[in-house]
Amino acid sequence: MTTMNRRRFFRNSLAPAAPRPEKESSSIALPTFSGSGLAPYAGSWTRQEAGHLLRRTTFGAPYAMVGEAVDMGMDATVDQLLADQPLPDPPLTTSTRDGGSAVGETWVDKPYGDDLTASQFSRLINLSAWLTELMYQEGMSVRESMTLFWHNHFAINVFVEPKYAYRNVATLRAHALGDFRQLVKDITIDPLMLAFLNGNENTVEAPNENYARELMELFTIGKGPQVGPGDYTNYTEDDVVAMARLLTGWRNFGALQRSTDGSFGSVFRPFRHDNSTVTLSHRFGNRQVASSGEDTYADLVDIILEQEEVARFIVRKIYRWFVYYEISEQTEAEVIEPLAAVFRDNDYDVKSVLSVLFRSEHFFDVLSQGPMIKHPVDFTVGLFRQLEIPVVGNPRQREQLYVGIINYADSIGMRYFDPPSVAGWKAFYQEPLYYRTWINSTTLPRRQELSQALLATNLNIRGYGPVSFRLLDIVEQFPEPGSLWPMIEGWTQLLLPRPITEGQREFLKDVLLPGLPDTQWAVEWADYQSNPDDEAIAQALENKLRAMVLSMLEMPEYQLS
Amino acid sequence: MKRRSFLRKASLLPLPLILNQFKLSALSQPFLAGEMNDDDRVLVLLQLNGGNDGLNTLIPLDQYDNLAAVRSNIIIPQGDLLQVEDTAAFHPAMSGIRSLYDEGKVAVLQGVGYPQQNRSHFRSTDIWNTASDADTVLTTGWLGRHLDARYPGFPGDYPSVEEPSPFAIVMGNSVSETCQGTSGNFSIAIADIDNVGQLPSFDGGADLNTPYGRELDWLRITIAQSNEYATGISEAAEMGNTMVPYPENNEVAAKLQSVARLISGGLRTKVYIVELGGFDTHADQSVAGETGTGVHANLLRTLSEAVAAFQADLQALGLEERVLGMTFSEFGRRIRSNASQGTDHGDAAPLFLFGSCVSGGITGESPEIDPAVGVQEGVAMQYDFRNVYGSVLMDWFGVSEEAVGELLLDDFSYVPVLAACNATTSIGARPQVQSPDLTAAPNPFRESFTVSFVTGNERARLALFNAMGQQLRVVSDRSFSAGAHQLNVETHGLPAGAYYIHLTLSGGRRITRRVVKQ
Repeated sequence: MTTMNRRRFFRNSLAPAAPRPEKESSSIALPTFSGSGLAPYAGSWTRQEAGHLLRRTTFGAPYAMVGEAVDMGMDATVDQLLADQPLPDPPLTTSTRDGGSAVGETWVDKPYGDDLTASQFSRLINLSAWLTELMYQEGMSVRESMTLFWHNHFAINVFVEPKYAYRNVATLRAHALGDFRQLVKDITIDPLMLAFLNGNENTVEAPNENYARELMELFTIGKGPQVGPGDYTNYTEDDVVAMARLLTGWRNFGALQRSTDGSFGSVFRPFRHDNSTVTLSHRFGNRQVASSGEDTYADLVDIILEQEEVARFIVRKIYRWFVYYEISEQTEAEVIEPLAAVFRDNDYDVKSVLSVLFRSEHFFDVLSQGPMIKHPVDFTVGLFRQLEIPVVGNPRQREQLYVGIINYADSIGMRYFDPPSVAGWKAFYQEPLYYRTWINSTTLPRRQELSQALLATNLNIRGYGPVSFRLLDIVEQFPEPGSLWPMIEGWTQLLLPRPITEGQREFLKDVLLPGLPDTQWAVEWADYQSNPDDEAIAQALENKLRAMVLSMLEMPEYQLS
Repeated sequence: MKRRSFLRKASLLPLPLILNQFKLSALSQPFLAGEMNDDDRVLVLLQLNGGNDGLNTLIPLDQYDNLAAVRSNIIIPQGDLLQVEDTAAFHPAMSGIRSLYDEGKVAVLQGVGYPQQNRSHFRSTDIWNTASDADTVLTTGWLGRHLDARYPGFPGDYPSVEEPSPFAIVMGNSVSETCQGTSGNFSIAIADIDNVGQLPSFDGGADLNTPYGRELDWLRITIAQSNEYATGISEAAEMGNTMVPYPENNEVAAKLQSVARLISGGLRTKVYIVELGGFDTHADQSVAGETGTGVHANLLRTLSEAVAAFQADLQALGLEERVLGMTFSEFGRRIRSNASQGTDHGDAAPLFLFGSCVSGGITGESPEIDPAVGVQEGVAMQYDFRNVYGSVLMDWFGVSEEAVGELLLDDFSYVPVLAACNATTSIGARPQVQSPDLTAAPNPFRESFTVSFVTGNERARLALFNAMGQQLRVVSDRSFSAGAHQLNVETHGLPAGAYYIHLTLSGGRRITRRVVKQ
């Protein structure tokens, strides 16, 4: 992003707001963000703000990472979150059930074993675990969150071809912070996407418009209000038909047992392609588009991305992923519109948008802090990370732990390759509930059950064994572990998005020290310090801490970020 | 008495008395259940996600040859179909529903949809959930608006002594947008009726005028409500019963069995929602060469066997008269099949109602299949789905016709397929809906054609639709005197192709004719 661009939108955001039409009366008074736009945030930088930034951009935020960010300052933290880093090594086979690849080598380019079902199943589990591991082990980087964001954006809920799935998510990750234009192009001919939205059946003889429709409605420009028959403001039904023809000719190959050497991918078959010139609607200036053979799909993406609306549509989705679901007229004018301009001015470079958003007054506005209901993966992976649960054992055992973690997330509504539809998870688009979609009388008790399983019982994950961790190790990182109220505050800062009430603090103290004077914590802590090898003393403290931390996790506040 | 005021008053009473009151109300419910009023009635919505292929569900036998011509790769051999009328047959996987049909417990409406059909799953699902116009976005659901009008204090004032149960239950993991009200969603989601727990909560600490306070407050209300509801659900699940075997490995059957248990256990919930996904059959909807089998057949079998078991259970439990079932799906599919052994997003489709008082049979005409039908064409609409919803609200929940107009659409037009369910209509007088007559000539035509029809002294509305189901113009909408009428329909400026002319008369009588412009 150039300096000039920045200046320009700062001016925009500082300009007096245009008079807006009176909003329709509503039963809920909608709070407005206090005039905060995209100007750089220059307020206080404590665990509160650093924790907010890291909880929103990574999964949970361990105590030490927040401390590191406080020391680094905001700009350096954002730079670090957005820094380029090498792509991860592909997942490695952990089981002889794979059959097509040896234990310890990767399967992503190997044929399947003779027992296809066993091989397939082994790889799907391995891939799920690998994706979870990347989120779990993520350092100060937004890349895994953005990879999941793009998976929600280019949502696919078919999970039967592990090699296809791996390539799909590897493509999302490779461009996660990069070039949106290239990402759309790559996904358009991605083998899994071709299979999922019937692009592989889209031929000159029998056009299939499934992908063409979603390319516009969900992936790039979005659907505007219907203003006439088949006219959705940003495109028309005729454009769907025309674009489907431009996209003809692509096939995926090498799925499952069809590949004997492990090769797979996408291929352009000229005889299946419609070579004729199509005419787009007035929404695209009645433009005539001639086929350019194998490159037609890329030309089409370029044509769609010429439309200004694309940047707005994508920026709104980024906003709902990182900030809040509600986009008021003020937010639209002062955040979305200038961010969309940044996106366009930087030729759809994703990092440019995030860089401005994460440093903005609006992002750190006190009203932006805390109102996001954590999505299930954030809740689950974040909880394990905040409790600093170590992952031990051989690759097989570690895999089982990661599978266990993601099965929890799945049971409360979210896992890779299982969004409810091609529109992604409802929490990010469905009015009026949005994030509230995650919470209901089934999922909320399940969230509590995970907390209880970890802290009140000895959670035992099949194939992994008991999940062991020590809260004492976390308390020891606090500045004043031996002082009752600062110790409790250390936990609330780590786990909860905003300070809690006096009554809640008292409640937590009663759970920690039932019927005992406040001073008892200091006494117990001193005893522990003097006898660090006495397991009985350590266990007594650990038990008390677990009871208190469980109570915090059971507070509805813990559902918020 | 509303819950908060009840609790405030109750706190002045000695404790045992409060407990007795609660116990009494909980225990007395199953005994009161035999006494019938509108409040005891239950609507079970069966949501078929993905867009059900109506032409492969209810097959028009009078159009069979033409249908076979445009669906040669997926058409089911005529001999394999389950014929129920001279002109109609069910898919061979629907033997359960066919038996119910033979008992007069199934009403099928042909061509249910809406004008300006939208073929996006999400938007069209929203339209069906909210009962909006195609070009209007509503943020409340059709049942949510009905419940808002009836229980304006929701969510704060509930559960109450009079309404101790959740208003609506989704058997699944997420609440239903059909039940979205202005201030909250009237439905709760339950995955397992034998496992509903209690959750802790705290008050205070957040300004309700901030986004944080708003979300926190919402979480707290959800917790408080779910705790109170959980108690009632657990009791009902424990006291409830089912009396017939349900098919195994059938997710819909398992959910309907839970519904039967909760109803028989005395839960006062008015709406249950059960979803079945997988109807988006763009590819491989049936097996080549064995077209009566495959994905669509499995889905219909799942649905059919589950509904048949549920209905038998309700009968055995003596609850049949209290429960009405209704299917819906965001759209039907194209008339022509595609080359992938599947069908793409289309327009209208048949809608099924199940119950002991429905007007059994098929209402509406077979969709007209032209062997030269365009690739894009779907089945034309005969009944606006909001007229069906509104008729359910009137005949099943006792909502006035005027109120229905406000809740759903201005020119609501009653469809009398549930008239016998209405407490104010005499049982036994089941009015049959007679389709009016309508001819269009010449057909095909060049610039204009003439429609001929007969009316009583009544209002008639004549509208022209394109092949995509989008309303192009209202030709006439006024009162006619009794007799035969002719109107000329101009199509100047419209491209060549297929169109539909749609006539609506009072009392829900309507007819659609397909015309072709050369």
